[in-house]
Amino acid sequence: MSKTNNIIDFLDAGIKAESFRQKTIANNIANLETPDYRRYDVKFEELLAQAIDRSGKADLSEVKSELYQPKTTEVKGNGNDVNLESEVGQMVKNTIRHKMFIRLLSKKYRQLIEAINVK
Amino acid sequence: MEINNTFDPIDIAISGLHAQGKNIHMISSNVANAQVTDNGKGEPYRRVEAVFKSTEDDGLGGVTIDKIVTDSSEFPMILKPGHPDADANGYVAMPNIDLPIEMMNLTIATRVYQANVAVLKRYQKMIEVALELLK
Repeated sequence: MSKTNNIIDFLDAGIKAESFRQKTIANNIANLETPDYRRYDVKFEELLAQAIDRSGKADLSEVKSELYQPKTTEVKGNGNDVNLESEVGQMVKNTIRHKMFIRLLSKKYRQLIEAINVK
Repeated sequence: MEINNTFDPIDIAISGLHAQGKNIHMISSNVANAQVTDNGKGEPYRRVEAVFKSTEDDGLGGVTIDKIVTDSSEFPMILKPGHPDADANGYVAMPNIDLPIEMMNLTIATRVYQANVAVLKRYQKMIEVALELLK
């Protein structure tokens, strides 16, 4: 895929990353009490920022969401570092981002429809 | 800390939840050990308390538990001559825990936890209202 600055392509990539992150958070919460489990997070925004060039274009097929273990949170007695409150916070943020992307996307589509309906 | 990130209030509210969660952890330990006359080192259980600290120096930020300190106040002595931990006069040192105070602290911790949840929920609502503009 060549470089793009089409907003729909960016929103598509963003929504995909948020869906992936939501899965990761659900996985973390499921492993809340698993011994020696370290939480996972998704790196996307940083990679996207690196891929965007001066003209604001990016090759989105090159930007892949990356799964990593931050290992920054406090480790509990059983070697697990998942904290329910932080995961809920992550989920709230993720939901807001997701909502924002969806709204922007529907707005964009509505603009297109309006342009098509001009008589 | 500058106010520039949309998600900062969420992180701050979560830090409050986290800190109060740990605080409740300590209160439950105090309540559970209220009758422990021997902590394994020949002393009754000593009350523990959380000391909070803000994460940013200029105050605009979350909260964290700075340290966990033990309460150094004196142990109350009660007369229990038959108790294995009793001294020569028949008195036993009990943990320096007042259950009513612990229950009061528990109520405060719970209310602060609820307040942080309220802030989180309200902020979420505010963002949703802002997103309504995109409809």
